[in-house]
Amino acid sequence: MPVQGIRAVTAARNGVGAFILQCKRLDLHYCDWAGSSRGMVAFLKHQLPAFAKENPQIEIRVSPRPHKHPVLRGHYINGREKAICVRNLEPEQILQKANLLKEASGEKLKKQKKPVTSLNESVRGIWSPYHGDLKSV
Amino acid sequence: MAHFIAVSKRPSSILPFLLPSWSESTVSIQQRNQSSYRRTTQRLRLKPDSSFGLSTDQIYDHIIHNPPSSAPSVYHTPTKFLPPGDVRSTLRAGTSVPNSEALPTLFKSDTTKKYHLKQSDIEEIRRLRLSDPMSWSRWKLAKRFECSPLFIAMVCEASPEKKEIQKKVLEAVQSRWGIKRRIAREDRQLRKETWGRE
Amino acid sequence: MKRLQLQQWSGSALSPRARPACGRLLYAGLRRQTTVSSTTTDAAPAADAGVATSRQLAQAPVLAASSQMSRRLLPSPPVEAARESAKLAALHARLYLPSRFPLETLARTLVHASADPNADFNNQSLATLGDDLLAYYATEHLLCTYPRLPLTVVFAAMYAYVGKKTLAAMAREWGVELAAAPGGEVDPGLLQFHRITPGTSLNTGPITGTTRPNDDRTSWRRGMTSRVVYDDHFGEPTMAPGATQQSTSNITPTVTAEEASATFVRAIMGAIYLHAGRPAAKRFFSQHFLSRHLNISELFNFSQPARDLSRLCAREGFESPVAKIISETGRKSRHPVFVVGIFSGKDKLGEGAGSSLLEARSRAAVAALKGWYLYSPLDVRVPSSMEEDGAAPWKPVYIDPGEVVV
Repeated sequence: MPVQGIRAVTAARNGVGAFILQCKRLDLHYCDWAGSSRGMVAFLKHQLPAFAKENPQIEIRVSPRPHKHPVLRGHYINGREKAICVRNLEPEQILQKANLLKEASGEKLKKQKKPVTSLNESVRGIWSPYHGDLKSV
Repeated sequence: MAHFIAVSKRPSSILPFLLPSWSESTVSIQQRNQSSYRRTTQRLRLKPDSSFGLSTDQIYDHIIHNPPSSAPSVYHTPTKFLPPGDVRSTLRAGTSVPNSEALPTLFKSDTTKKYHLKQSDIEEIRRLRLSDPMSWSRWKLAKRFECSPLFIAMVCEASPEKKEIQKKVLEAVQSRWGIKRRIAREDRQLRKETWGRE
Repeated sequence: MKRLQLQQWSGSALSPRARPACGRLLYAGLRRQTTVSSTTTDAAPAADAGVATSRQLAQAPVLAASSQMSRRLLPSPPVEAARESAKLAALHARLYLPSRFPLETLARTLVHASADPNADFNNQSLATLGDDLLAYYATEHLLCTYPRLPLTVVFAAMYAYVGKKTLAAMAREWGVELAAAPGGEVDPGLLQFHRITPGTSLNTGPITGTTRPNDDRTSWRRGMTSRVVYDDHFGEPTMAPGATQQSTSNITPTVTAEEASATFVRAIMGAIYLHAGRPAAKRFFSQHFLSRHLNISELFNFSQPARDLSRLCAREGFESPVAKIISETGRKSRHPVFVVGIFSGKDKLGEGAGSSLLEARSRAAVAALKGWYLYSPLDVRVPSSMEEDGAAPWKPVYIDPGEVVV
């Protein structure tokens, strides 16, 4: 057979075409008794419905955790999770933290060295010393 | 000439590391560490090639063609392979084609097919191969009839005895190989398979 | 997520269990799918009439007892549970599914046939439709964009776009979670299927029971042309419907997670087509499938590129290809590099670099062949674009004489 095909799998490019929000679940834990949960309880009462309506892609679970500090925990599609302790925070600050978890990709934070990363090959190709014109400097 | 110009552009006293060792004693007195590093980098910063950017007399009325110094992409279909109706073949008509006549061929011998053998020659090849397979190998027959060994293999086949002998010879040779040579030969074969793949 | 409720659990364990077949019959009245239109239920075969009456009879007590307890008897979650599932609603929003696509159908696409053998409640029919749609859209895209691709590479590219592995990866990237075991009490937002037992061998020798003639002759060659006629869109033999039924009649079918995830993605495609129509299905395909990255030039594997190229030039009437050295360095050193170009007359067909003359020539021939096969017309239109309203008149696409035959 002159030519054979090699089986491969296409690579995902999230945001090219469709965009899938990487945060799939947000767990909110609070305590009814403790003072550190005061902001969290207010957030749950007044701001959470609007937040949930804005972000229907995220499954939201609210559960009490007595005698513990309130915690926001985001679960991501890549299997990782991120938790933020929100003790003594105001509802507005908790909303900021929730937005932070929503917008995260779930990956570990790392320094981005290149401004753009792409799977597409370079338009001008990879530089090779054996091609192109000879330049006299 | 170019070398002379380069030297005149950058006086060597400013770049102390370019000087030969005998001049070090005089230079080291004037050495200033921090500022000289900056000056060196400034001096080494080359101007862009003249093909970049606009020259003073031509303004905005031409296209700068600066082909990449890289191997061509396989998605760029050669002009000869374009079907007749394709627009690209007319677009590329004006571009200059490098002169392929001047380039050397891969091998010294001419490999173009001559189609000079007749049926009687082929009969002769078969007769020789059968009569004395040890002396009339593929290479010798190819040399005698001025054709390729592949053609000899296409018109006739070695007798089973000859194949058996050749197999034993190969085994005898391979039995003398050590582990390194064996691994190196296997690796070479594996590398060869990747030629058609990537 | 299954939550253990001890009293109920012990109760169901202690009480005599209803036979699964009876249970299915009993609750069939309660479970009414939205995807099954009224015409299809009316047009049920006459042989099923007895079942239908028993369903109507059983409907009254079932509706009264729609408790957590009764859900345990079902093989898959009941239809009304779809509205209660947060996971399902989140998945619906995450995929930007149209509002016409109901949550109940999304729940149905998550039930594999191995979890619920009843065809009214599993995703088998949706997956069949979705598979055909995926194959059609991917094929027309490939054949119109790269009209000269050899068949083996077309099969490989089809597998890369809509193959089982890719679909399973997509389901994972959509955030679909797998249920540990299927059941009526499971959250309908989880993918439900019977897992294959660990340690089961997946490749069980030559495949028989296919739709090919003489498929019992396992040593016979499967040529490329016959694959187009008999096999599926990946060049693999399709199983005859009778053969699969025989194997599944006595034991409960089990599947791998990959297979179940792939079936789910196909079912989503089919369901979008049914509920939201053709344009939505096409948009979903281009956004989720075609937008993925595939470098087609990496799917080729040539065994004798120089021979193929000379056959190609002879077929097309070009001058026979000649390899020439464009540049070289270090010929007598340990690391030489040769850049060899292949020329046909005055035109350069391809070039390649290698550490030996033969390697460079072989790579140049590969580049030239890829240059031929990867030709793409400038204005690519697919046949399905004619289905849109006000489409421009159809111009025939470029069709190639075919790949090189040696």
